[in-house]
Amino acid sequence: MAQNINPHYASSSNPAKQNEDTIKLKDNHAVSKRLQKELMELMRCADKGISAFPESENLFKWIGTINGPLETVYAGHKYKLALEFPNSYPYAPPLVKFITPCFHPNVDSCGLICLDILKDKWTALYDVRTVLLSIQSLLAEPNTQSPLNQQASYMWPNQPEYKKYLDEFYNKHKDL
Amino acid sequence: MSQKSDELKIYWNKIIYAFPILNDNLSSECTDTEYEEIAHIITGLSIQVKIRDLILVHIEKYLRHNVAPSFWSKFTKIEEEIKGFQLFKSAVNDLYESVNSFSILLRRLTLLNNTCCDNRPIFGERDVIQGFKQLVRATLLSQLPVTFHVIINHFYKLSFNVFDNMKAYEDSFMDEDACSGCWNEYSECNCAYIVKVFYDTNRKLVELQLLERLAGQVLTNFIQQRIEAHIHKLCTGTFDLSYIALLEKWLDVTVMTWLTRIYCAGSSEPPPDDENVQNAIAKFKQKLRYYLYHSYTKLRIDQLFIIIIEYPDSRPAISDIKVCLNKTDLQKSLCKNLQNALETRLLHPGVNTPDILTAYISTIRALRHLDPSGVILETVTKPVRSYLRNREDTVRSVVSSLTEEGTGSELAEELAKFAADNDEEGEKEEAWDEWMPDPVDADPRNTASDRKGSDIISMLVNIYGSKELFVNEYRTLLADRLLAQGVINTDKEIRYLELLKLRFGESQLHFCEVMLKDISDSKRINALISQDKNFEEMNNKFASNAMILSAQFWPPFKDESLELPDEIKEHLADYTKAYETLKGNRTLSWKPHLGNVNIEIEIGQKKLDLTVSPFNATLIMHFQTKPEWSLDELHEMMKVPVNVLRRKITYWQSLGLISEKSSDYYVLVDGSEACKSNVPSNQVQEMICEDEEAESVMASAHDQREGELQVFWSYIVGMLTNLDSLPLERIHQMLKMFASQAPGTECSLNELRQFLDTKVRTHQLFLQGGMYKLAKS
Repeated sequence: MAQNINPHYASSSNPAKQNEDTIKLKDNHAVSKRLQKELMELMRCADKGISAFPESENLFKWIGTINGPLETVYAGHKYKLALEFPNSYPYAPPLVKFITPCFHPNVDSCGLICLDILKDKWTALYDVRTVLLSIQSLLAEPNTQSPLNQQASYMWPNQPEYKKYLDEFYNKHKDL
Repeated sequence: MSQKSDELKIYWNKIIYAFPILNDNLSSECTDTEYEEIAHIITGLSIQVKIRDLILVHIEKYLRHNVAPSFWSKFTKIEEEIKGFQLFKSAVNDLYESVNSFSILLRRLTLLNNTCCDNRPIFGERDVIQGFKQLVRATLLSQLPVTFHVIINHFYKLSFNVFDNMKAYEDSFMDEDACSGCWNEYSECNCAYIVKVFYDTNRKLVELQLLERLAGQVLTNFIQQRIEAHIHKLCTGTFDLSYIALLEKWLDVTVMTWLTRIYCAGSSEPPPDDENVQNAIAKFKQKLRYYLYHSYTKLRIDQLFIIIIEYPDSRPAISDIKVCLNKTDLQKSLCKNLQNALETRLLHPGVNTPDILTAYISTIRALRHLDPSGVILETVTKPVRSYLRNREDTVRSVVSSLTEEGTGSELAEELAKFAADNDEEGEKEEAWDEWMPDPVDADPRNTASDRKGSDIISMLVNIYGSKELFVNEYRTLLADRLLAQGVINTDKEIRYLELLKLRFGESQLHFCEVMLKDISDSKRINALISQDKNFEEMNNKFASNAMILSAQFWPPFKDESLELPDEIKEHLADYTKAYETLKGNRTLSWKPHLGNVNIEIEIGQKKLDLTVSPFNATLIMHFQTKPEWSLDELHEMMKVPVNVLRRKITYWQSLGLISEKSSDYYVLVDGSEACKSNVPSNQVQEMICEDEEAESVMASAHDQREGELQVFWSYIVGMLTNLDSLPLERIHQMLKMFASQAPGTECSLNELRQFLDTKVRTHQLFLQGGMYKLAKS
């Protein structure tokens, strides 16, 4: 038997488990690489109004920033989001939620978002950039059919009043 | 009972008669026969041990109360040398006499001691006489006054003066009225007397074994002063001779003879049988020899900066220091001194970078010779390296002196030498048996081969830690040269490139190779295109040669806009067409602001042949069609910023072809006027005709680096948008984590700080409590 084998693997009696471990490890590496590439792309293109960056040394937790789309009630607002990538990314969607409280028909009081591409419509072709762009456009065009925030959904048709309430809400919470 | 005590009293009186010291008296009238009788009595009573001890106690008391105080009482603080001389002489004489007056007593005491059988040492010595001498010394020194050295100083100073003078007297004729030995008129010169007294006193001191103790320090001080003075006289200002041997000889001959004379009362040879004296002299000599090396090295260390600057000529001085360093412990002070000298004399803004480099190079050479292990060099030049790193034009200076032509360029020679040396490298491995361990003060992080192996060029390159910077700068410099020269000596450039390749490696200099190839290709293509039929007629109007550069391989050019006149543009378009037919699916993209234009200007009766930049040519061509232009109109036509335009137009103003009629409104000076205003002969014109623009067309290495840092900027913006505010260290860490694949790769903390600071200055960032924050847009 060869001597220079990692003792960790050598001691593992279960070959199946060992296999699983290495795959996971390799996957993890692949995910890191993919995220790194996405970051580079994001930095290079620098779209107006969206941005994201890893929160710390952990590449799997990012902070994103969305500016409210122009010519909507959200214009001038700035929302922070937390993005968390699973180990199976990009085959599973990232967990995205608002950090800045957001008054919106499809966002609940904890910041959770109801968006199809973050759930069943997710494919590996999406990336951080498209997710952030989707959320940005969700702000402009909420889906009032399946609301998480009933009050917002109810107020949405009356835009001036909605705007008034929203600004008040935003100013109260933006520094949290 | 009373009879017994009477008897004892008689005995006691007799003993006192024999040893009057018991009554604190020295003169004894007792004769030897009488003493023998008394000795019998003592042995009869068997009290010899007690008597002996009693006598010793009394001797000690006597010395302490009489001899020592009277000796030291002469040691007063006196200003006049001659008085001091006399005092010391009489003190020593008196001491000698009073010690001698003990001789009878001592002889008897010896006899008495012989009858004692206890074998007890007397003051640590077997022999009574030796013990007594020891006692005298001890008693004297126990009462040493503070200012004892004053008259000793006077004594020896005077004597040395006389000695010196005698030597000089032998060498030369006296031409002064007064004897410079004793400062008396010659008629009253008492040099001979002084010499006699001097020898006499010294002899007595040697006999008493007090010379070393009393005069040792003074003697040493004197001799050291002499040595220093001699070294200064001999060695200041000249570095092209080795002085070690000379100085050693001087010490052996002059100083040592003299010292021997003192010890041996006038004879220049030490008595062969007296080991004490020989030992003392040998010891003294060792001390002096050390001191000689020490003072010589110190002198040299103080001058080391100049020695280094004059290096190849001052090689003997460096060799001397090398020898001396092994014998003294001055290496540390050498490093410190030299470092200070470099810092104060070299490393300040008033010194040109090439001068610093020259000094640095000769420092490397000199210290290499001084210390082959390279440890001193490493310590000393650390501040030089870090200083050079901060100078912006260092790289440029190094590279330009590397490729400079002709004499005076040491680096170019070094480069050629490297090529020659390179072949011998393999043999070094075999010299394993000559291996030496590193000196103790070496920095353990670097190996000996690092220190030794690196030659001057790589030491210069290592200032920055990477070859790339140098290669890039060379590329820029080469580009400048290639574009600036009308006629290019490619052979020379190729030769240098080959030399550089040996050093920096093929891959680094591949770009430069392509650049040179571009130049020769351009010549060929120009020749082919001018043969082209379609192009030929165009070319009749004015001839053009293009320099075709592969954009990928050339350093980035400074971007400058320049709109050429339509005529020229058409011509260049034709050239492009011709090139396209020649080269298949390739095309040209013109850099209109680079290159040279030969123009002929006819104005009135005047004809000017000029070689100018495209810029100036365009400018004057516009005046061909219309004699009056406002600055704004020119700006419209040429698409050049107004301030640049204003600057460039001064060239034509200086030639007297254009004048500024009103502010920012320019008029062509017509022929007749031009003649008047421009009467001065052609010479003047030719002088100015050289294009004033000597500045580089390339973006400098500094600018390039700035560009690379811009890549990081987008990352930093991304970071700060999402994470609000971060300290410098975190930003640096994050960049290292996430932006490492981006080009420009490495960025030091310091560099980043500078970069961020420029951003703070341009109000793109805020710095608040050590945290960087994006400015609110």
